[in-house]
Parts: sequence; structure tokens; C-alpha cells
Amino acid sequence: MQSMEFPLVLFTVLSQAAVGLALMGAVRVSSGPQGRSPRREWIMVAGLIGLGLLASLFHLGHPTGAPRALVHLSTAWLSREVLLAGTFAVLAVLAVLVSKTEVNPVLAWAGSLVGLGLILSAGMTYAPPAFPAVNNALPATFFLLSAVTLGAGFGSWFASESRQPLMGGIFGAGLLVALVLYLVVPCVWLSGGAVMRMTGQTWLGSGFYWVHVAVLAACLLVFRLTKGIPVWLPVLLLLGELAGRAGFFADTIHTAANLGGLY
Amino acid sequence: MKKQYAFLVDSELCIGCFTCAMACRNYYHPPEGVIWRQVYPLDEEIYPHRERAFYSLACNHCENPTCLNVCPVEAYTKREEDGVVVHHQEKCIGCGNCIRSCPYGAPKYNPVEKRAEKCSFCHERLDAGLKPACIQSCPTGALSMVDLAELEPGNQVQYPAGFPKMEDVNPSTRFILPKLPRLVRR
Repeated sequence: MQSMEFPLVLFTVLSQAAVGLALMGAVRVSSGPQGRSPRREWIMVAGLIGLGLLASLFHLGHPTGAPRALVHLSTAWLSREVLLAGTFAVLAVLAVLVSKTEVNPVLAWAGSLVGLGLILSAGMTYAPPAFPAVNNALPATFFLLSAVTLGAGFGSWFASESRQPLMGGIFGAGLLVALVLYLVVPCVWLSGGAVMRMTGQTWLGSGFYWVHVAVLAACLLVFRLTKGIPVWLPVLLLLGELAGRAGFFADTIHTAANLGGLY
Repeated sequence: MKKQYAFLVDSELCIGCFTCAMACRNYYHPPEGVIWRQVYPLDEEIYPHRERAFYSLACNHCENPTCLNVCPVEAYTKREEDGVVVHHQEKCIGCGNCIRSCPYGAPKYNPVEKRAEKCSFCHERLDAGLKPACIQSCPTGALSMVDLAELEPGNQVQYPAGFPKMEDVNPSTRFILPKLPRLVRR
């Protein structure tokens, strides 16, 4: 088991919740009347990304050097991730300042596009060759699913009555896709190379993994039974995503763990 | 091909004495638990004999180093004159991205400095005309230094069993495989 990287768990999950919330806000802006209190929604977006960025500083050995992480944009996905996270935070604060009763659609979509870029760059950062199981599109897919489900869940807090079915539909579909993906992927890894197989075995034996899967299943069940998103459900999903992300960092096996063994 | 210094690990000669790893520690004095060079025994599936065979591994000074590519603060450089990948610790902010990303686990986290660090091929010794500390200390001559630009084709291999095959990064380390002892029956 490797380090749980708690600051990174907080940064990635909270930033993805913020991106998802902005994306769902943009979808609602483009599809009909504005929801309840758009300004409060953007305050939440700004708060989530702000908390995420603050948490990420605790991951660094020398947090005061964080601004220098922007210097290697040519090849380092981490530099691009930092740039896009900063840009997203600035756009979120701008949206808080300009939105009184309505959200500027241009600002909403600009924030969403930058946010999607942030998810892609985070997906690339955490898909290095050292982790064969996730040296592919899986991290970006996991992160996008977190953003969509958390965004639709928290978005239901701010959506008008007429837009609740839209949020519910996205929430339910996102949960179903996430649940299937998280159940299938470790089983696929079991048929891979040595390190990929070790990752599959570690995930399937991990409490983080099963808590995450159980929370996804429970959220989906509650959604089906209540035909909606109860106000507490996104908070439960957020806790499940935090557990799942801790497992992502702690239970994915590094190639160096098997040096001297068959690959 | 440009000059590229590389470690040549002769597993036929290596006896797993850890002198190379100890010489590295004695020379650089990293904190406890921070190991730049390590000696790995080969699994029995690879070397099926009651005697063991070993790989002595540190940074592979790759042609296309992952650490250099992923570092957000440009703390890594690859020397033009000999291809050695150097970590400039004063630039490092301790994000751990190189540690996570190197498929060979070469960069390590120094909990005292709160920064990454790794084998530098003893480049300051190279500049003084000396061999790296690990090579100088090896009692059997199992660890040596070669220039890949001048290395004649022979029985060296780049990706032996027990060493991850990462063609994109193109590690410079070369290996001579251990032979199984011959059993003589009377």
C-alpha cells in the first residue's frame, strides 16, 4: 500500500465537484430559466475550488514554491493542471462578482470548458507509465464521472423545480456508469500483466474501494426509491468519492514494487 | 548518437553484497530510509536456482526521462556532455510528481529536506575524472560504466526479465544476464 496522499484526495475531489457544479449550472442556463440563487451556487463553486487549492498546498514539501509550478507548461501536465485550476478559480470568483440574479452564460460556459480542461490535465497527471493499470484514459474518466455525479447532486440544491428532473437524470445515469465501471475495471486488471494484476487484487481487497462502491450503490438505490435527489445525498456521495480517491492513490501499484520479478 | 553514460550491470558477476548501495550511502549520507541504489534479488521464476542472482539498480539516466518531463518546476536537466540526468534540489518544491511518475522508482522523497532526490551518476566525480562511488566500490567488477555511443554490440540487454520495459523513456542501463550454474553429476 502506498501513501493515501490526503491533500491530493481533497484537491482532486473538491475541484471536480466545483467543475461539475459549474458544468451543471451552464447546462441549466442554456436549457431554460435560471435556477434558485445562482450567485450562491457560484459562491459554492469558488469555495470548493478554493478549498481544493488550499489543500493541495499541504501536499508540497515547500508550499511557498507553488507558483513556480507554472514554469514547465511545455511537457508537464501538472503545470497545466495548476494553470487551469487557477484560471477556473479566477473565473469562479468573477462569476460570483457579476452574477446578481442571473448568470452570464458566456462566463458559465467559459468556466465549464476550463474546468473540463482541468479534469483532462488532472487525468493525464495521474496516468504516468509507472502505474500500468491507470496509464490510460481511466483517471480522466474516473475524474469526469466524479465531476458529473457530484455536480448534478449539488446542482440539485440550486436548480429550479422544472430543472430537477434534468439534474436527477444526469445524477442517476452518472452513478450507474460509475458503478459499472468501478466494478468491471479491477476485474479486467486481473487478466493483465503482473503489476496490473497486483493493482486489481489490491483494489478488490481494499476497504476504500468497497466503501466507494457501496456508497455509489446506496446513492443509486436512494435515487431510484425517492425518484429524486434528497438534500443529504450529495454529501454522502462526496464522502464516498473521498474514500474512492484515497484508494486510487493508496492501492494502485507502482512498477518499481515488482523490480526483480516477472512483469 | 550523442555521448550517453550508462551503468552496465553484470549479473553473472554480482554476488549481492550491497557494497555499491553502501558506497552510495557513505558518499552522499542521505537520511535513513532514502536509498538511491538498491540491490534486487531475481525471482525464482526468472532465475530458478537455489543460489540467487541480482540487479543493482539506481537511476537509469533515460534518453527521454519521465522525471524531467513531468517536473512542474524544471528541477531536472539532462547534461548535453554525457546524458546524465541531474536533479537540482534547490529548485524542487517537493510535489512528488517525479517519484510517482518514474517507472523505475529512481527519485526518492527526502523527509528532512522535504524534496525529491536521486542518483546523479556522481557527476561531480565524473567531472573530476573519477568513477561513480558505486562502481569504484564494487569488489567483483559487476558494476561498470559504459558510453552507449561507443558500446560494441555484445551480450548486453536493455530489458531483461525483472526490469520493466519502457520503450518511450528508453533507460540507458544495460545488463549482462546471469548464467545458471552447470550441475556436474558423477
